[in-house]
Formats: sequence, C-alpha cells, structure tokens
Amino acid sequence: MRRPWWISVLRYIALAAILLWSGFPILLMVMASLKPDREIFKFPPDFIFRPTFANYIELFTSRPAFFDALLNSIIITLGATLLTVVSSTLAGYIYSRYRNTALAGSAFFMIVIRMLPPIIITLPLFPVVNALGLQDTYLVLIVLYATFFVSLNTWIMKAFIDQIPRELDEAAIVDGASTVKVLRYVIVPLSIQGIIATATFVFVFSWNEFLFAFIFTTSKAKTAPLVISEMLSSLAGIDWGVLFAAATLQFVPIMVLVVMLQRFVVAGLTVGSVKG
Amino acid sequence: MPVRFFHYLMVAPVQLLLLFIIGIPSLFVFWQGLTEFSYGQDAVFVGLDNYKSVLTDRAFWRAFSNTFIIVNAVVYIEIAAAIGISILFAGGVPFRRLMIAILLVPYAVNEVTAVVMWRFMLEPNVGLLTQLLNSVGLPTLNWPTNRWDALTVIVLLSIWLNLPFTTIIIYTARLSIPQEIYEAARTDGASPLQAFFYVTFPMLIPAILIALLFRYVFAFRIFGEVWLLTRGGPAGSTEVLATYLYRNSFRYLELGRASAIGWLMLVTTLLMAMFYLRQVYKRMLS
Repeated sequence: MRRPWWISVLRYIALAAILLWSGFPILLMVMASLKPDREIFKFPPDFIFRPTFANYIELFTSRPAFFDALLNSIIITLGATLLTVVSSTLAGYIYSRYRNTALAGSAFFMIVIRMLPPIIITLPLFPVVNALGLQDTYLVLIVLYATFFVSLNTWIMKAFIDQIPRELDEAAIVDGASTVKVLRYVIVPLSIQGIIATATFVFVFSWNEFLFAFIFTTSKAKTAPLVISEMLSSLAGIDWGVLFAAATLQFVPIMVLVVMLQRFVVAGLTVGSVKG
Repeated sequence: MPVRFFHYLMVAPVQLLLLFIIGIPSLFVFWQGLTEFSYGQDAVFVGLDNYKSVLTDRAFWRAFSNTFIIVNAVVYIEIAAAIGISILFAGGVPFRRLMIAILLVPYAVNEVTAVVMWRFMLEPNVGLLTQLLNSVGLPTLNWPTNRWDALTVIVLLSIWLNLPFTTIIIYTARLSIPQEIYEAARTDGASPLQAFFYVTFPMLIPAILIALLFRYVFAFRIFGEVWLLTRGGPAGSTEVLATYLYRNSFRYLELGRASAIGWLMLVTTLLMAMFYLRQVYKRMLS
C-alpha cells in the first residue's frame, strides 16, 4: 500500500524524535568527556572538535579509586552472573520437566517473591550482614544481585527448555545417562540462547545496580556506579569533565555488550514476560 | 517422570536464595514493624503504634502521593509511547536493526549515569537544554527549587531509562500479529485508524497488561533517580516512599517505623500484582 506523502514525512519526523530522545543524551555526554573543561557547557555545542583525553588522564591521576571500583564491579558482576545462570538453569530444567504439587507451589512462591521491593529487605539484612562481618564484601552484593534475578531467569530458562522436545532428554535418561550428562549434552547446548539472554540480564543489572551497593558497601567493595554517584554529589562542586569520563568508561563496555547481544535480550524479554 | 530427591536439590539453590534473602527477611520486617528499636537496642513490642505514627505523618502522605504521581505518569506515558513506536517500527523503518539498537541503548545506562546525563542537559543556567530553551525564550525547568519541575525531571529520567523494556514487550507482541488479519481488514474496507482500534489494540492488550503490571511494580520502588537528583528535596517535597523509608532507617535509625513503611510498600505491591498473581495461581496450582 502506498502511503500519502505527508504520512511518510510524519513517520520520519517521529523516527528522528525517537532516535534523538534515546541517543542524544548519551552522545552529548560521551562527546563532552572528550572536550576541555571550558567547552563542556558551550552552547551550541560543537559536534566537530579535536578530542582531548585530558579528562581521562585526570580521572586516572586524581581518582584512582574509580579504577578499583571498576575492578570490583567486574568481579561482583561475574560472580553474580555465574551464580544466577547456574542456579536458574538447574531449576529451569526441573520446572520444565517435572511436576508435582510441591514444585508447583515453589514455582508460585518464586513468582510472588519477585514482586517485593528490594529496599524492604535491607532493613533486616543490614544488621545480619554486619554481625556476620560481611559488610563491604563482594559476597554480599553477589548474593543479593543473584537473588533478585534467579526468579526471572529460572522462568526464562524454563520457557526456553520447554521448547526442547522432551523425547531428546527422556531418550538419554532411558539409555542410562545421568542428569549431569543430560544437562551437559542435551539441555545446555539446546537452550544456549536462553542462557545468553539470562546471563545478559543479570550482568547488566549487577553492573549498573545502585541501591544495594549504596547501602552495603563503604570502601573496599564499592562499585563503579557508587563512585560515580559520589563524584556527582561532591561537596567541592562537580568536576564535570572527569565525571563524564568516569561515566563513559562505566557505560561504553556494557552498551557494546547489549548491542551485540540485542537479539538475545529481545528474545529473553519476550519469553520471560509473555510466558511468565 | 517421577520426581526424585535429587530434583529438589536442583531447585534448592534458587529456592534457598529466595527464602533466606527475601522471604524470611520480609516476614521479619513485619515483626520489626510492630516493635520500637534501633541498632544495638532491644526491640520493645508496641503493637500498631508505628503504623499509627506513619499513617498520621504528613511526610508519609506526601511521599505516597509523589510516588503515586510519578508511577502513573511514567507508566501511562511509557505505554502510549511504546504503542506508537511499535506501530511505527512495524510499518517498516530504514536500518531497522540499528534503529532498534539505538532504542535499546538506555537499557544499558545505570541510574547514576542517567542522572549525570540529564543534569548536564537541565542544569539551571548552564545545561545545554536549558540554554536552548532560554535562547528561544521558553521557560526552563527549575528542578533544584521547584517541586513540580523536579517531579517532571524525575518522570522524564525514569521514562528514558525504562522505555526500552516497555517498547520491546509491546513491539514483539505487535510483530506476532499475523499480517493476514490486516489484509483481511483492508479488503473489508477498514481505514488505518479502524485497523488500529479493531485489530492492533485489542490484540496488544495481553502484552499491554503485562507491561502495565511490571512497570507498576518496578516504578513503585523508585529510589535512585530521586535520591541522586533531589535527595527528596527541596524540604522533602519530592520524597518518594523508598527514599522516605531510607531516611527513616539509615538516617533517623527509626527501624520500627521504617519497617512499618516497608511492610506498607510490600502490601501495596502485592495488591497491584494481585490480579496477575491470581491468574498465575489458577494456571499453576489447579
């Protein structure tokens, strides 16, 4: 069907507005991180300019703590991702293949509990974490991040495993394969899309999380978003150029990952929400 | 196949995490809400006193109404925008994969960086958008001192961060509507507007309900955007429930009171999700 010309024009205007809305704040910040201080708030901003790495160099020399925090973020994110992916693949397999009242009840519990606001549990957990000497450690954040994603991720894994014909793993079991072998040679290879999707969700969440890091870390285990937030609320005034450099370094790797894994993110969200 | 003990062990990691990190602590919050205590003190049972004190506190109701305003603005604007974007994209756009990638990018941005970006644009006097609005003579957002301007910025930020999620849910539902239905509608003489109201919208309703549910539940917890932008200020005028809870527990150390707020948030969340949870329950356990 041919569209009237004015509809096409409106469509292009709408498309441009969407792209501007989504991409422009990011573009402005990344560009500003490459500008000298005096040009950052210049209006109208230059889109063509000679980039300088002065802000990045200053970040490196004046805020070495940021790079420690990046390393903390990497460790915590990898830990939480591993814990979540392994535990939700195991559980997703069981929920997909076996059924009884106890399992159905526990699956329902899993869905209800995922609704609760995370801030609530900081109240009783804070003293417990302190009493156990776990405040400001990687372990607390790894466990908390994993806990808030195992529910969704188990559900997504169940949906992906549901699509694998049962005959495949049942035949393997009849032939005497152990559950470990069934998982390793049948389930995991055939649900790899789901594994990538669930890993991406928890990875992005853990990399970006603010509330728990804010409450449960004070120095040693601080994550990158927390250090950026401290730079933002610095009493000495905000050093915008350095702040942009830090935010860009935190954001660009995860953006590349999300764009590369776009198709899995979309598939996982669709399956997880529509069938959940 | 029969369920064996070993199979329970395989769901145990997930279930134990949920039970020990969320389940038991949230029940404990209920108990804490009935007591008065602070760190290092013994809890004293006070019955419903904390609830009375919270529910008669004007600051609580201000936090409640701010949360209510933010949640409703965010959720409905997002859903409307997501429907619009889905229809636009389903009608065919150039460089579709690249466009979707750009649409998806804010999903990768954390709350702190989002606040950094939006403050860069909206900082009074010097922000780039502020300067643009000034230069064409439009009023600017005075968010550090004006409650409504601050709430507007919080809503914008929150929409910016979460629109990718809402859009993907609705867009994939739009893609799964068979093209033949549109062709049939067209041969029957339906205008594009009629096709939207009689085909697209009704068929999107399940996805819209899911998006509504999740966005309500998640927007209700809003903390980072508010805390990082205004700290709930000026003078508590942009406080939301989560920042109000945080202030009561970690600043005033009024843990009994904070727990009562927490339990009120929990019950509200479950009420919002009740319809959905009832459906899930029916499907799974009967």
